[in-house]
Amino acid sequence: MKGLITLILLLTFGWINAQQTDPKITIAYNDESLEEVIESIEAKTNYQFFYDASWLSNKTVSGNYVDTNVATILSDLFSNTVLNFFVMDGNKVILTQNNIIYDSLPTNFFNDESTVVIDEEDTKTNPLFVKEEKASKTTPVQTVRIGKEDRSNTRKRFTLRGVAVNPDTGEPISSLAIVVKGKNLGTTTNFEGYYEIELPAGLNQLETKSLGNEDIQKNVIIYNDGTLNFELREDLQSLDEIVLEANRGQNVKQAVTGVTQIKVEEIKTIPLVLGERDILKVATILPGISTAGEGSSGYNVRGGKTDQNLILLDEGVIYNPSHFFGIFSALNPFTTGDVDIYKGSVPAEYGGRLSAVFDINTKDANVDKFSGEAAIGPVTSNVTLEVPIVKGKSGFLIGGRTTYSDLILKQLDEPSLANSKANFFDIVAKFNSEIGEKDDIKATAYYSRDAFSITSDSIYSYSNRLGSLQWNHKFNDKNRGSLIVSNSQYRFNIDYDGDLDQDFELGYKVTETELKLRMKYIMSNEHKFDYGASAKIYNVSPGSIEPTGGESIIQPVSLAEEKAMEAAVFIGDIWEVNDKLLLNAGLRYSFYSALGPSDQNVYQEGLPKNDGTLLETRSYANNESIANYGGPEVRASLRYLLGKDFSVKAGYNTSYQFIHTLSNNTTVSPTDTWKLSDLNIKPQQAQQYSLGFFKNLDDATYELSLEGYYKLSENIIDYKVGADVLLNERIETEVLQGNGRAYGAELLLRKSKGKLNGWIGYTYSRALFQLDSEFPEERVNDGEFFPSNFDKPHDFSLVSNYKFTKRFSGSLNFIYQTGRPVTYPIGSYVLNGNEYVFYSDRNKFRIPDYYRLDLSFNIEGNHKIKKFAHSFWNISIYNVLGRNNPYSVFFVTQEGKVKAYQSSIFSVPVPTITYNFKF
Amino acid sequence: MFPKMKIKPSKKYTSLWPMAILLLVIGCVEPFEFETETFESALVVDVTVTNEVKQQQVRLSRTYMLDAEGPVMESNAQVRIEETEGLVYEFSEIAPGLYGSDIEFGAQVGKEYVLKITLSNGRRYISAPQKTPQVAQIDDVYAQRTTNNAGINGMGIYVDSFDPTGNADFFRYMYEETYKVIAPEFKEIDLKVTGTEYPDCSVEEVPRPAGEEVCYATVLSNTINQFSLNDNTEDRVTKHEVRFINSDNYIISHRYSILVKQFVQNPDSFFYFETLGAFAGEDNLFSQVQAGYIPTNMISEANSEEKILGFFEVTTVSEKRLFFDYTDFYPNEDLPPYVSTCRPFAPNIVQSGLPPSCGALILGLILDDIVYWDENTGQIPNQTGPYLMVQKPCGHCTALGNSEVPNFWID
Repeated sequence: MKGLITLILLLTFGWINAQQTDPKITIAYNDESLEEVIESIEAKTNYQFFYDASWLSNKTVSGNYVDTNVATILSDLFSNTVLNFFVMDGNKVILTQNNIIYDSLPTNFFNDESTVVIDEEDTKTNPLFVKEEKASKTTPVQTVRIGKEDRSNTRKRFTLRGVAVNPDTGEPISSLAIVVKGKNLGTTTNFEGYYEIELPAGLNQLETKSLGNEDIQKNVIIYNDGTLNFELREDLQSLDEIVLEANRGQNVKQAVTGVTQIKVEEIKTIPLVLGERDILKVATILPGISTAGEGSSGYNVRGGKTDQNLILLDEGVIYNPSHFFGIFSALNPFTTGDVDIYKGSVPAEYGGRLSAVFDINTKDANVDKFSGEAAIGPVTSNVTLEVPIVKGKSGFLIGGRTTYSDLILKQLDEPSLANSKANFFDIVAKFNSEIGEKDDIKATAYYSRDAFSITSDSIYSYSNRLGSLQWNHKFNDKNRGSLIVSNSQYRFNIDYDGDLDQDFELGYKVTETELKLRMKYIMSNEHKFDYGASAKIYNVSPGSIEPTGGESIIQPVSLAEEKAMEAAVFIGDIWEVNDKLLLNAGLRYSFYSALGPSDQNVYQEGLPKNDGTLLETRSYANNESIANYGGPEVRASLRYLLGKDFSVKAGYNTSYQFIHTLSNNTTVSPTDTWKLSDLNIKPQQAQQYSLGFFKNLDDATYELSLEGYYKLSENIIDYKVGADVLLNERIETEVLQGNGRAYGAELLLRKSKGKLNGWIGYTYSRALFQLDSEFPEERVNDGEFFPSNFDKPHDFSLVSNYKFTKRFSGSLNFIYQTGRPVTYPIGSYVLNGNEYVFYSDRNKFRIPDYYRLDLSFNIEGNHKIKKFAHSFWNISIYNVLGRNNPYSVFFVTQEGKVKAYQSSIFSVPVPTITYNFKF
Repeated sequence: MFPKMKIKPSKKYTSLWPMAILLLVIGCVEPFEFETETFESALVVDVTVTNEVKQQQVRLSRTYMLDAEGPVMESNAQVRIEETEGLVYEFSEIAPGLYGSDIEFGAQVGKEYVLKITLSNGRRYISAPQKTPQVAQIDDVYAQRTTNNAGINGMGIYVDSFDPTGNADFFRYMYEETYKVIAPEFKEIDLKVTGTEYPDCSVEEVPRPAGEEVCYATVLSNTINQFSLNDNTEDRVTKHEVRFINSDNYIISHRYSILVKQFVQNPDSFFYFETLGAFAGEDNLFSQVQAGYIPTNMISEANSEEKILGFFEVTTVSEKRLFFDYTDFYPNEDLPPYVSTCRPFAPNIVQSGLPPSCGALILGLILDDIVYWDENTGQIPNQTGPYLMVQKPCGHCTALGNSEVPNFWID
């Protein structure tokens, strides 16, 4: 405090001084922005201006002065704004918003600690000094300043007026109560949403209360008569400035457990791999989400398999969200708005996957202004354009990304590599438009494709295709609905051209089409309902293999197509029982039917499924129901506030999954095929219990959370010893369905404000499977629980960013994970005169631990508003320590000997420079 | 019928290819030293008791380290097979790790047998009872000249079988092939090394012993060939391929014989060997075989979780032998290329140099790699060695087989 006094006392009364030394200039400006005028004045004088550029509105000014005092010019310049100016040290012009800088404090400012506002009537001006830091510490609400302080003003009360509207509809909100906390003041809005209230000068804590709209608080520091409009949404899902405040503390307040939100803007400074700002990669450094290894596609969420995640892009399903063995995610970082990852309680509207929902939203196209963004990196380049179509109403966004690794490959001397291929691209387009006041539509199209060589002439390729159309309609203030239709397809193709007699071509395809109706009914402040229904059709072409070339000894096989229907009805209620208790109760009923035409093998009941127990092959006609599965799913969670910034949450979640990937790979072949449940393959089921404590410290500067979960699953797909799952016509004889048990504790400390921000996360978790049966061939590891392929008990991550200046920032990441389990060959033996390898119990051993340190440095272009483009450079080094982290360990029999290999992807530090610009 | 489909792209280094591509961008594949302390020693039980009345054999060994040579035999064990009726067949060690029944016996169809082993350290192992399956006779073994899926011309050996009772569903096939080898460059003279230290590098001509021209080689099958009838409506094995021989394989050059053995298996042993066979195949680039321990029908009395490898198989066998000559299927066609090209060359007797030493002729003879073909009279330009030599199999058939005529052989 002493320092503050000294500082303030050091200030001379600049206004007077300024008058005395004020130079006279000649200046003319016409329709120029305030900033440009300020720059002109800076050029003509030795004045330097200090201000926050965001205060300068886009409004333009005109003026013509000959030999005029700068102070006069500035007075005119800021006359129609809320800005005041103050000249210090003769040449420093400090612009302030609303308030005037005073050179002395009121006499009793430090004496009366409880007084916030100087309330005495004074013959001279009526300065307001608000101890802001104290106020904001206790009330994390937005502070607005009303009016411009006027030295001549001696009034003690000012009039605040304005309108309250719903920003979504533009409709006025009537009967909204506006009360001033701690003062016996209040008013309500009229039919047009208009209000007027007399407020004492200084700080007033305004609160709104209404039915059906959010309640907000604002600290209003009133200097003069002024206007304050309220924009109140129907619930708390609003965006923009207010939202940031509303989101603050959201971690504590919302009822849903195990939810992670990542905003693309927030991850800008995290070190990049090969120059890609990858939102899903960031997800994997948060507790509870991991990958089996660097370069493996798919995510393991809370001990779930990679096929147990529902990955949605604008409501359409993406089957394979990765490029290039998972090194890049298949989402364009520029077009991605945000990702909500539900790993605990999944909202009732989602279903069909056991572990998690990744709800990825493409950002809406800018409807006001043509804009774009581009990045140039060492491996990929990326460009996004946003084009308004009808100004203020509709816009079109298109983003594309591609790699030029093929060009790099072509440059190589090694002929076998020069002919090889490794490329990918993805493209996303979105159209959003408002139609009238009550409707809007959004349409998204997405396509991604990867192709790379396996041998010099073999090509492996896969692609995702997705289209979705969403129509939102507002029936009235309380009822809204969305109708969504989506279609997605995933396919892969292998054109293998290796040794002469082994050539083949193999194709796989899964397509799904979904129709979904989602309704929202805001009954009251206490009850908000979401309900709806969805139906989905799956078509799977599990593939065919065709020998290519006359020499191939590959036998042609074509697996029959599969078809199924999945439907669900759901209802959820967000019930605010009281101030402390918030319930989020959801119920979903899923129904699944595998449909013909199909031939299904029937095996003897109670015996292992194999050639020996096959009874018959039953044929089903087109659309004949083969097997029906389904049942109710519970999605419940609650939050109880233990204090202002402290809550406990609990959740219980059950789910069904009817489509499964078949893959037992530990090396590098992403041929994951999806198989529908049928007569022999039952749906997977899971239930999860979760409990978490959430605490915000120091005005939500620090968020601390501790979450625990316990998850039980049934009919998890695993494989018999010796199983070969690719294009197997009797896959049910190779598959085992067992129990899963996963549990863990996730600790996260996050600091989201200040020069230093980031997070520290630690997870202890286990993911175990059990394959038990009375028959030895169906038993793995003696029927005991054993670690799954992705069981990595310890997982630590540190992400930290430090902002040196507005333009320079640096960040550091450190990640540590236990090595994942592996089945080792532990000896050889001879049987019938042949040598065989003796394998350990499944997943008995672990590959070496994983750790990695990354550094990155961002340099932003300057912040001048009128610059054509805003740019930034990112320099990053991935794996600074050069740790040779094995991605997988695998065994190859060569010349009769078993040899172990480890593959690693980034075994050396990888430096990257990326240039981004935005306009 | 649903053939079990397995794509087996050649394994060699192909599985490393995707990684190689990554490598050039970023990654690498390198040999990985995994801890040898992961080694586990386990008992390996290798026994197939058949319905043939003979001295049945049990082979006991232990697993060995991956980089070690050959198994450790399990000696001094007590081995017995008990029939459910109470008959007990005792076994005695006839070679290290190999135990033979003291009396000859054959498994009787429908009866159950139990294998009991007590190791020298006192550990006891017992099998689940194994029932002797139905006998299914081989109807026919026949050869056809054919073209396989790869478009390769060759000889297919097929088997037909029929079990009128319909109880035999699972079959395993093994074969023993024997073929006549005639050394194409047989000569009457051999060279014998008489001096190996320079300057005494010398050879002498001696008469070649008899029996080096025509031999008979016998080779056992080394793959697991199985067939299931379970999903067939008819209980008949028809034209099941047990062997395919490429037309350019020298083994069919003269006369070829194959003894095909058909074992009828119990479901348990069928699936054990089927799984084992999955490992024996080459790794697939796109889909790996799930690695792991294959549960067996043997159990340790002390520790039910102890891993035991191998299977106590009780089976019935039926066999049939087939002969054919090359000319039966390849009339007026050239013989397949011999196993060696048999091009003569004249290696030096003395290797000039500092110091000079005995040359390739002496070395090749000591290593028994080359044999006499003719005296060098300048037939081959620029080769100055005293004799023209050929690779040993060209002159001595014993490099490939045995000169004794097998007793089953019919010319």
